[in-house]
Amino acid sequence: MKKVLFAVLTLLIASCSGNKKTDEQAFLENLKADNAPLSAESSAVISEILQQIPSPLEIAVLLKQSGKKFNPDLLNSPDNLSRYNSNYKKALNLGIYGADLGYTNIYEQSKDGLNYIEAIKRLADGLSIGQFFDIETIGRLATNSKNLDSLLLMTTRNFNDINSYLQSQGRSNLSVLLLTGGWLEALHITTGVAANDPNNAVLQEKIGEQKVILNNIVSLLGFYKDSDQNIAGLLNDMENLKRIYDKVNITYTYKESTFEIVNGVMVIKDNSTTTIDITRDTVDEIRNTINEIRNKVIS
Amino acid sequence: MKSETLLTKSETRSSAKNNLELIMKNNLIFAVTLMLLTSMSAKAQCNSEGLSNECIPKLTTGFNFLKSYKIDGVGGTKDRVEYSYVFTKGTQYLINICAPSQPTDGVLVTLYDSQRNKVASSKVNDQFVSAIAFPCNATGIYYIQYTFDGSTSYCAGSALGFKR
Repeated sequence: MKKVLFAVLTLLIASCSGNKKTDEQAFLENLKADNAPLSAESSAVISEILQQIPSPLEIAVLLKQSGKKFNPDLLNSPDNLSRYNSNYKKALNLGIYGADLGYTNIYEQSKDGLNYIEAIKRLADGLSIGQFFDIETIGRLATNSKNLDSLLLMTTRNFNDINSYLQSQGRSNLSVLLLTGGWLEALHITTGVAANDPNNAVLQEKIGEQKVILNNIVSLLGFYKDSDQNIAGLLNDMENLKRIYDKVNITYTYKESTFEIVNGVMVIKDNSTTTIDITRDTVDEIRNTINEIRNKVIS
Repeated sequence: MKSETLLTKSETRSSAKNNLELIMKNNLIFAVTLMLLTSMSAKAQCNSEGLSNECIPKLTTGFNFLKSYKIDGVGGTKDRVEYSYVFTKGTQYLINICAPSQPTDGVLVTLYDSQRNKVASSKVNDQFVSAIAFPCNATGIYYIQYTFDGSTSYCAGSALGFKR
Protein backbone atom coordinates (compact mmCIF):
# COMPACT_ATOMS: atom_id res chain seq x y z
CA MET A 1 0.00 0.00 0.00
CA LYS A 2 2.85 2.31 1.00
CA LYS A 3 4.67 1.45 -2.23
CA VAL A 4 1.58 2.32 -4.30
CA LEU A 5 1.17 5.64 -2.45
CA PHE A 6 4.86 6.42 -2.98
CA ALA A 7 4.59 5.63 -6.70
CA VAL A 8 1.50 7.85 -7.09
CA LEU A 9 3.18 10.74 -5.25
CA THR A 10 6.35 10.36 -7.33
CA LEU A 11 4.28 10.45 -10.52
CA LEU A 12 2.38 13.52 -9.32
CA ILE A 13 5.56 15.39 -8.40
CA ALA A 14 7.18 14.39 -11.68
CA SER A 15 4.17 15.57 -13.67
CA CYS A 16 4.01 18.87 -11.76
CA SER A 17 7.71 19.56 -12.20
CA GLY A 18 7.40 18.52 -15.84
CA ASN A 19 4.76 21.21 -16.47
CA LYS A 20 6.74 23.81 -14.61
CA LYS A 21 9.79 23.05 -16.68
CA THR A 22 7.77 23.46 -19.87
CA ASP A 23 6.46 26.85 -18.72
CA GLU A 24 9.92 27.97 -17.68
CA GLN A 25 11.39 26.78 -20.97
CA ALA A 26 8.70 28.65 -22.91
CA PHE A 27 9.35 31.77 -20.86
CA LEU A 28 13.11 31.55 -21.34
CA GLU A 29 12.73 30.94 -25.06
CA ASN A 30 10.48 33.98 -25.26
CA LEU A 31 12.99 35.98 -23.27
CA LYS A 32 15.87 34.85 -25.47
CA ALA A 33 13.97 35.77 -28.61
CA ASP A 34 13.21 39.27 -27.27
CA ASN A 35 16.46 40.04 -25.62
CA ALA A 36 18.85 42.39 -27.33
CA PRO A 37 22.05 42.79 -25.29
CA LEU A 38 22.47 46.41 -24.21
CA SER A 39 24.94 48.15 -21.97
CA ALA A 40 23.81 49.38 -18.55
CA GLU A 41 24.16 52.97 -19.81
CA SER A 42 21.94 52.30 -22.82
CA SER A 43 19.35 50.59 -20.63
CA ALA A 44 19.29 53.59 -18.30
CA VAL A 45 18.84 56.01 -21.21
CA ILE A 46 16.07 53.84 -22.69
CA SER A 47 14.33 53.68 -19.34
CA GLU A 48 14.52 57.47 -18.96
CA ILE A 49 13.14 58.17 -22.44
CA LEU A 50 10.39 55.55 -22.09
CA GLN A 51 8.97 57.18 -18.98
CA GLN A 52 8.58 60.47 -20.84
CA ILE A 53 6.17 59.16 -23.48
CA PRO A 54 2.71 60.53 -22.67
CA SER A 55 -0.33 58.34 -22.30
CA PRO A 56 -2.62 58.06 -25.38
CA LEU A 57 -5.43 58.71 -22.92
CA GLU A 58 -4.51 62.41 -22.90
CA ILE A 59 -5.45 62.72 -26.58
CA ALA A 60 -8.67 60.72 -26.11
CA VAL A 61 -9.72 63.12 -23.33
CA LEU A 62 -8.88 66.12 -25.53
CA LEU A 63 -11.04 64.76 -28.37
CA LYS A 64 -13.98 63.98 -26.08
CA GLN A 65 -13.84 67.35 -24.35
CA SER A 66 -13.61 69.23 -27.63
CA GLY A 67 -16.95 67.70 -28.59
CA LYS A 68 -15.72 65.23 -31.20
CA LYS A 69 -17.94 62.21 -31.71
CA PHE A 70 -16.79 58.65 -31.17
CA ASN A 71 -15.54 57.19 -34.45
CA PRO A 72 -14.91 53.42 -34.35
CA ASP A 73 -13.79 53.46 -37.99
CA LEU A 74 -10.54 55.07 -36.88
CA LEU A 75 -9.66 52.11 -34.65
CA ASN A 76 -7.91 48.81 -35.36
CA SER A 77 -10.54 46.07 -35.30
CA PRO A 78 -10.02 43.39 -32.64
CA ASP A 79 -10.86 40.94 -35.45
CA ASN A 80 -7.35 41.54 -36.80
CA LEU A 81 -5.87 39.83 -33.75
CA SER A 82 -5.12 36.53 -35.54
CA ARG A 83 -2.71 38.36 -37.87
CA TYR A 84 -0.27 39.13 -35.09
CA ASN A 85 1.98 36.12 -34.65
CA SER A 86 5.44 37.56 -34.07
CA ASN A 87 6.47 39.24 -30.83
CA TYR A 88 7.19 42.39 -32.87
CA LYS A 89 3.61 42.57 -34.17
CA LYS A 90 2.13 41.49 -30.84
CA ALA A 91 3.91 44.24 -28.90
CA LEU A 92 3.11 47.00 -31.40
CA ASN A 93 -0.53 46.01 -31.65
CA LEU A 94 -0.81 45.62 -27.89
CA GLY A 95 0.06 49.32 -27.77
CA ILE A 96 -2.42 50.07 -30.56
CA TYR A 97 -5.24 48.14 -28.89
CA GLY A 98 -4.33 49.79 -25.58
CA ALA A 99 -4.83 53.23 -27.14
CA ASP A 100 -8.08 52.04 -28.74
CA LEU A 101 -9.27 50.75 -25.37
CA GLY A 102 -8.49 54.12 -23.79
CA TYR A 103 -10.45 55.87 -26.56
CA THR A 104 -13.48 53.55 -26.20
CA ASN A 105 -13.35 53.88 -22.40
CA ILE A 106 -13.27 57.68 -22.49
CA TYR A 107 -16.30 57.62 -24.81
CA GLU A 108 -17.95 54.99 -22.56
CA GLN A 109 -18.38 52.52 -25.41
CA SER A 110 -18.39 49.46 -23.17
CA LYS A 111 -19.32 46.93 -25.87
CA ASP A 112 -16.36 47.91 -28.05
CA GLY A 113 -14.20 48.18 -24.93
CA LEU A 114 -14.88 44.57 -23.95
CA ASN A 115 -13.71 43.37 -27.38
CA TYR A 116 -10.48 45.33 -26.98
CA ILE A 117 -9.95 43.97 -23.46
CA GLU A 118 -10.25 40.42 -24.82
CA ALA A 119 -7.81 41.15 -27.66
CA ILE A 120 -5.35 42.83 -25.27
CA LYS A 121 -5.43 39.89 -22.89
CA ARG A 122 -4.70 37.45 -25.70
CA LEU A 123 -1.81 39.51 -27.06
CA ALA A 124 -0.42 39.95 -23.55
CA ASP A 125 -0.66 36.20 -22.93
CA GLY A 126 1.25 35.66 -26.16
CA LEU A 127 4.04 37.85 -24.79
CA SER A 128 4.01 36.12 -21.36
CA ILE A 129 2.71 39.28 -19.67
CA GLY A 130 -0.95 38.29 -19.43
CA GLN A 131 -0.70 38.09 -15.63
CA PHE A 132 -0.93 41.89 -15.47
CA PHE A 133 -4.51 41.93 -16.75
CA ASP A 134 -7.31 40.88 -14.45
CA ILE A 135 -9.74 40.52 -17.33
CA GLU A 136 -12.71 39.67 -15.10
CA THR A 137 -12.39 42.82 -12.99
CA ILE A 138 -11.69 45.04 -16.01
CA GLY A 139 -14.63 43.51 -17.86
CA ARG A 140 -16.93 44.08 -14.87
CA LEU A 141 -15.81 47.71 -14.54
CA ALA A 142 -16.27 48.28 -18.28
CA THR A 143 -19.95 47.32 -18.19
CA ASN A 144 -20.92 50.18 -15.87
CA SER A 145 -20.21 53.80 -16.79
CA LYS A 146 -20.16 54.70 -13.07
CA ASN A 147 -16.90 52.76 -12.86
CA LEU A 148 -15.13 54.81 -15.53
CA ASP A 149 -12.54 56.29 -13.16
CA SER A 150 -11.70 52.87 -11.69
CA LEU A 151 -11.53 51.37 -15.17
CA LEU A 152 -9.15 54.05 -16.45
CA LEU A 153 -7.05 53.75 -13.31
CA MET A 154 -6.81 49.98 -13.52
CA THR A 155 -5.93 49.83 -17.22
CA THR A 156 -3.34 52.62 -16.90
CA ARG A 157 -1.75 50.85 -13.93
CA ASN A 158 -1.70 47.55 -15.81
CA PHE A 159 0.13 49.10 -18.76
CA ASN A 160 2.56 50.91 -16.42
CA ASP A 161 3.23 47.62 -14.61
CA ILE A 162 3.86 45.86 -17.92
CA ASN A 163 6.38 48.49 -18.96
CA SER A 164 8.22 48.28 -15.65
CA TYR A 165 8.19 44.49 -15.78
CA LEU A 166 9.48 44.31 -19.37
CA GLN A 167 12.34 46.66 -18.51
CA SER A 168 13.23 44.72 -15.38
CA GLN A 169 13.32 41.52 -17.46
CA GLY A 170 15.66 43.00 -20.08
CA ARG A 171 12.84 43.12 -22.64
CA SER A 172 12.81 46.88 -23.12
CA ASN A 173 12.54 46.40 -26.88
CA LEU A 174 8.98 45.16 -26.36
CA SER A 175 8.28 48.10 -24.06
CA VAL A 176 9.53 50.46 -26.79
CA LEU A 177 7.25 48.78 -29.35
CA LEU A 178 4.28 48.87 -27.00
CA LEU A 179 4.64 52.60 -26.39
CA THR A 180 5.37 53.27 -30.07
CA GLY A 181 2.15 51.44 -31.01
CA GLY A 182 0.14 53.47 -28.51
CA TRP A 183 1.60 56.75 -29.74
CA LEU A 184 1.10 55.80 -33.41
CA GLU A 185 -2.57 54.98 -32.81
CA ALA A 186 -3.22 58.17 -30.84
CA LEU A 187 -1.67 60.25 -33.64
CA HIS A 188 -3.62 58.29 -36.26
CA ILE A 189 -6.89 59.00 -34.42
CA THR A 190 -6.00 62.69 -34.02
CA THR A 191 -5.08 63.16 -37.68
CA GLY A 192 -8.23 61.23 -38.67
CA VAL A 193 -10.43 63.53 -36.58
CA ALA A 194 -8.55 66.61 -37.84
CA ALA A 195 -9.20 65.55 -41.47
CA ASN A 196 -12.89 66.28 -40.90
CA ASP A 197 -12.15 69.56 -39.12
CA PRO A 198 -9.20 71.06 -41.04
CA ASN A 199 -9.51 74.51 -39.48
CA ASN A 200 -9.30 73.28 -35.91
CA ALA A 201 -6.19 75.05 -34.58
CA VAL A 202 -6.09 73.04 -31.34
CA LEU A 203 -5.94 69.76 -33.24
CA GLN A 204 -3.30 71.09 -35.63
CA GLU A 205 -1.22 72.18 -32.67
CA LYS A 206 -1.70 68.81 -30.99
CA ILE A 207 -0.45 67.11 -34.15
CA GLY A 208 2.50 69.51 -34.41
CA GLU A 209 3.65 69.06 -30.82
CA GLN A 210 4.01 65.31 -31.41
CA LYS A 211 7.39 66.27 -32.88
CA VAL A 212 8.79 66.17 -29.32
CA ILE A 213 7.60 62.60 -28.79
CA LEU A 214 8.58 61.44 -32.27
CA ASN A 215 12.17 62.51 -31.54
CA ASN A 216 12.08 60.31 -28.45
CA ILE A 217 10.67 57.37 -30.37
CA VAL A 218 13.30 57.65 -33.09
CA SER A 219 16.00 57.69 -30.38
CA LEU A 220 14.51 54.62 -28.71
CA LEU A 221 14.16 52.58 -31.91
CA GLY A 222 17.76 53.48 -32.79
CA PHE A 223 19.02 51.33 -29.91
CA TYR A 224 17.68 48.19 -31.59
CA LYS A 225 18.24 48.88 -35.29
CA ASP A 226 21.31 46.64 -35.50
CA SER A 227 19.85 43.73 -33.56
CA ASP A 228 16.31 43.63 -34.93
CA GLN A 229 15.45 43.93 -38.62
CA ASN A 230 11.78 44.65 -37.92
CA ILE A 231 12.68 47.55 -35.66
CA ALA A 232 15.20 48.79 -38.25
CA GLY A 233 12.37 48.89 -40.80
CA LEU A 234 10.07 50.71 -38.40
CA LEU A 235 12.84 53.17 -37.60
CA ASN A 236 13.26 53.88 -41.31
CA ASP A 237 9.53 54.68 -41.55
CA MET A 238 9.69 56.89 -38.46
CA GLU A 239 12.68 58.74 -39.88
CA ASN A 240 10.62 59.47 -43.00
CA LEU A 241 7.92 60.86 -40.74
CA LYS A 242 10.54 62.86 -38.87
CA ARG A 243 11.62 64.51 -42.14
CA ILE A 244 8.06 65.79 -42.54
CA TYR A 245 8.05 66.94 -38.92
CA ASP A 246 11.22 68.93 -39.64
CA LYS A 247 8.84 71.44 -41.26
CA VAL A 248 7.11 71.97 -37.90
CA ASN A 249 8.63 74.74 -35.81
CA ILE A 250 8.20 74.75 -32.05
CA THR A 251 9.34 77.96 -30.40
CA TYR A 252 9.70 77.94 -26.64
CA THR A 253 9.86 81.10 -24.54
CA TYR A 254 10.66 80.77 -20.86
CA LYS A 255 9.21 83.18 -18.38
CA GLU A 256 9.28 82.70 -14.64
CA SER A 257 6.08 81.21 -13.28
CA THR A 258 3.97 82.49 -10.41
CA PHE A 259 1.75 80.59 -8.02
CA GLU A 260 -1.00 80.73 -5.43
CA ILE A 261 -2.05 78.24 -2.76
CA VAL A 262 -5.62 77.01 -3.19
CA ASN A 263 -6.99 74.57 -0.58
CA GLY A 264 -3.49 73.37 0.29
CA VAL A 265 -2.53 72.83 -3.36
CA MET A 266 0.08 75.00 -5.01
CA VAL A 267 -1.46 76.14 -8.30
CA ILE A 268 1.19 77.30 -10.75
CA LYS A 269 0.61 79.97 -13.35
CA ASP A 270 2.81 78.93 -16.23
CA ASN A 271 4.02 82.08 -17.95
CA SER A 272 6.22 80.24 -20.44
CA THR A 273 4.83 79.61 -23.90
CA THR A 274 5.32 77.45 -26.96
CA THR A 275 4.17 78.43 -30.39
CA ILE A 276 3.76 75.63 -32.90
CA ASP A 277 3.98 76.53 -36.56
CA ILE A 278 2.42 73.88 -38.77
CA THR A 279 0.65 74.24 -42.10
CA ARG A 280 -2.41 72.33 -43.28
CA ASP A 281 -0.29 70.73 -46.01
CA THR A 282 2.11 69.41 -43.41
CA VAL A 283 -0.81 68.05 -41.36
CA ASP A 284 -2.01 66.21 -44.51
CA GLU A 285 1.47 64.83 -45.15
CA ILE A 286 1.73 63.63 -41.55
CA ARG A 287 -1.69 61.97 -41.78
CA ASN A 288 -0.81 60.14 -44.99
CA THR A 289 2.54 58.93 -43.65
CA ILE A 290 1.05 57.84 -40.33
CA ASN A 291 -1.60 55.87 -42.23
CA GLU A 292 1.07 54.14 -44.31
CA ILE A 293 3.10 53.18 -41.25
CA ARG A 294 0.04 52.05 -39.33
CA ASN A 295 -1.23 49.95 -42.24
CA LYS A 296 2.05 48.05 -42.24
CA VAL A 297 1.80 47.51 -38.50
CA ILE A 298 -1.81 46.34 -38.30
CA SER A 299 -1.82 44.19 -41.46
CA MET B 1 43.78 3.34 36.92
CA LYS B 2 40.25 2.19 36.26
CA SER B 3 38.81 4.76 38.66
CA GLU B 4 41.00 7.44 37.06
CA THR B 5 39.61 6.50 33.69
CA LEU B 6 36.03 6.69 35.02
CA LEU B 7 36.71 10.08 36.55
CA THR B 8 38.12 11.34 33.28
CA LYS B 9 35.04 10.09 31.43
CA SER B 10 32.79 11.85 33.94
CA GLU B 11 34.80 15.01 33.57
CA THR B 12 34.65 14.68 29.82
CA ARG B 13 30.86 14.26 29.96
CA SER B 14 30.55 17.32 32.20
CA SER B 15 32.80 19.35 29.93
CA ALA B 16 30.83 18.28 26.84
CA LYS B 17 27.59 19.28 28.60
CA ASN B 18 29.07 22.69 29.40
CA ASN B 19 30.22 23.11 25.83
CA LEU B 20 26.78 22.18 24.54
CA GLU B 21 25.14 24.69 26.88
CA LEU B 22 27.60 27.34 25.75
CA ILE B 23 26.93 26.63 22.09
CA MET B 24 23.16 26.73 22.68
CA LYS B 25 23.52 30.00 24.60
CA ASN B 26 25.63 31.49 21.81
CA ASN B 27 23.16 30.29 19.19
CA LEU B 28 20.31 31.84 21.16
CA ILE B 29 22.16 35.17 21.41
CA PHE B 30 22.95 34.98 17.69
CA ALA B 31 19.33 34.23 16.81
CA VAL B 32 17.97 37.05 18.99
CA THR B 33 20.54 39.50 17.55
CA LEU B 34 19.65 38.39 14.02
CA MET B 35 15.94 38.86 14.74
CA LEU B 36 16.56 42.34 16.15
CA LEU B 37 18.74 43.33 13.19
CA THR B 38 16.19 41.98 10.71
CA SER B 39 13.40 43.86 12.43
CA MET B 40 15.47 47.09 12.49
CA SER B 41 16.39 46.69 8.83
CA ALA B 42 12.72 46.09 7.94
CA LYS B 43 11.84 49.29 9.79
CA ALA B 44 14.58 51.18 7.95
CA GLN B 45 13.46 49.90 4.53
CA CYS B 46 11.63 52.40 2.39
CA ASN B 47 8.23 51.28 1.17
CA SER B 48 8.15 53.86 -1.61
CA GLU B 49 5.92 51.65 -3.74
CA GLY B 50 3.30 51.47 -0.99
CA LEU B 51 3.50 55.24 -0.52
CA SER B 52 3.16 55.92 -4.24
CA ASN B 53 0.12 53.62 -4.32
CA GLU B 54 -1.34 55.61 -1.41
CA CYS B 55 -0.91 58.77 -3.46
CA ILE B 56 -3.01 57.61 -6.43
CA PRO B 57 -6.45 57.91 -4.77
CA LYS B 58 -5.33 61.24 -3.29
CA LEU B 59 -5.19 62.83 -6.75
CA THR B 60 -7.77 65.60 -6.71
CA THR B 61 -11.15 64.75 -8.23
CA GLY B 62 -11.23 65.20 -11.98
CA PHE B 63 -7.62 64.20 -12.50
CA ASN B 64 -6.84 60.99 -14.37
CA PHE B 65 -3.97 58.90 -13.09
CA LEU B 66 -0.87 58.80 -15.31
CA LYS B 67 2.16 57.62 -13.33
CA SER B 68 3.25 56.71 -9.84
CA TYR B 69 6.77 57.52 -8.71
CA LYS B 70 8.86 55.86 -6.02
CA ILE B 71 11.05 58.20 -3.97
CA ASP B 72 13.76 56.36 -2.07
CA GLY B 73 16.68 58.41 -0.79
CA VAL B 74 18.25 55.20 0.57
CA GLY B 75 18.46 56.55 4.11
CA GLY B 76 20.00 59.83 2.94
CA THR B 77 22.71 58.41 0.68
CA LYS B 78 20.87 59.70 -2.41
CA ASP B 79 20.18 63.42 -2.45
CA ARG B 80 17.64 63.41 -5.29
CA VAL B 81 15.31 61.19 -7.28
CA GLU B 82 14.33 62.39 -10.72
CA TYR B 83 11.75 61.44 -13.33
CA SER B 84 10.70 63.12 -16.57
CA TYR B 85 7.55 63.39 -18.66
CA VAL B 86 6.34 65.25 -21.74
CA PHE B 87 3.76 67.80 -20.57
CA THR B 88 1.54 69.29 -23.23
CA LYS B 89 0.06 72.73 -23.61
CA GLY B 90 -3.56 73.01 -22.56
CA THR B 91 -3.39 70.12 -20.10
CA GLN B 92 -3.34 70.55 -16.33
CA TYR B 93 -1.11 68.19 -14.35
CA LEU B 94 -1.17 67.40 -10.64
CA ILE B 95 1.81 66.01 -8.73
CA ASN B 96 1.32 64.97 -5.12
CA ILE B 97 3.61 63.58 -2.43
CA CYS B 98 2.84 60.98 0.23
CA ALA B 99 5.32 60.42 3.07
CA PRO B 100 5.33 58.28 6.24
CA SER B 101 4.77 61.41 8.37
CA GLN B 102 2.72 64.46 7.49
CA PRO B 103 2.73 66.49 5.42
CA THR B 104 5.73 65.42 3.30
CA ASP B 105 8.47 64.61 5.86
CA GLY B 106 10.83 67.12 4.24
CA VAL B 107 10.40 65.69 0.75
CA LEU B 108 9.89 68.37 -1.87
CA VAL B 109 9.24 68.30 -5.57
CA THR B 110 10.77 70.77 -8.01
CA LEU B 111 9.68 71.02 -11.60
CA TYR B 112 12.18 71.99 -14.30
CA ASP B 113 11.57 72.60 -17.99
CA SER B 114 13.60 71.00 -20.80
CA GLN B 115 16.25 73.72 -20.47
CA ARG B 116 16.46 73.11 -16.74
CA ASN B 117 14.76 76.38 -15.83
CA LYS B 118 12.96 76.08 -12.50
CA VAL B 119 9.21 76.12 -13.02
CA ALA B 120 7.92 75.35 -9.52
CA SER B 121 8.93 74.07 -6.11
CA SER B 122 6.71 72.65 -3.39
CA LYS B 123 8.58 74.48 -0.59
CA VAL B 124 7.24 77.95 0.04
CA ASN B 125 8.30 80.17 2.98
CA ASP B 126 9.77 77.13 4.74
CA GLN B 127 6.47 75.27 4.36
CA PHE B 128 6.12 72.05 2.41
CA VAL B 129 3.10 71.73 0.15
CA SER B 130 1.97 68.18 -0.63
CA ALA B 131 0.54 68.84 -4.11
CA ILE B 132 1.35 71.00 -7.13
CA ALA B 133 -1.15 71.74 -9.90
CA PHE B 134 0.52 72.75 -13.15
CA PRO B 135 -1.64 74.03 -16.00
CA CYS B 136 0.91 73.60 -18.77
CA ASN B 137 1.26 76.39 -21.28
CA ALA B 138 4.38 75.14 -23.07
CA THR B 139 4.77 71.65 -24.53
CA GLY B 140 8.05 69.91 -23.80
CA ILE B 141 10.00 67.53 -21.60
CA TYR B 142 9.75 68.40 -17.91
CA TYR B 143 11.92 67.05 -15.11
CA ILE B 144 10.18 66.12 -11.87
CA GLN B 145 12.87 66.19 -9.22
CA TYR B 146 12.36 65.06 -5.61
CA THR B 147 14.84 66.21 -2.96
CA PHE B 148 15.09 65.94 0.82
CA ASP B 149 15.15 68.92 3.17
CA GLY B 150 15.22 67.86 6.80
CA SER B 151 13.67 64.52 6.00
CA THR B 152 13.84 61.77 8.62
CA SER B 153 12.82 58.83 6.46
CA TYR B 154 14.16 59.90 3.03
CA CYS B 155 11.24 57.95 1.73
CA ALA B 156 8.04 58.91 -0.06
CA GLY B 157 5.77 58.18 -2.98
CA SER B 158 4.18 60.40 -5.57
CA ALA B 159 1.52 60.29 -8.26
CA LEU B 160 1.02 62.26 -11.46
CA GLY B 161 -2.42 62.93 -12.88
CA PHE B 162 -3.89 65.07 -15.66
CA LYS B 163 -7.07 66.77 -16.69
CA ARG B 164 -8.11 69.01 -19.57
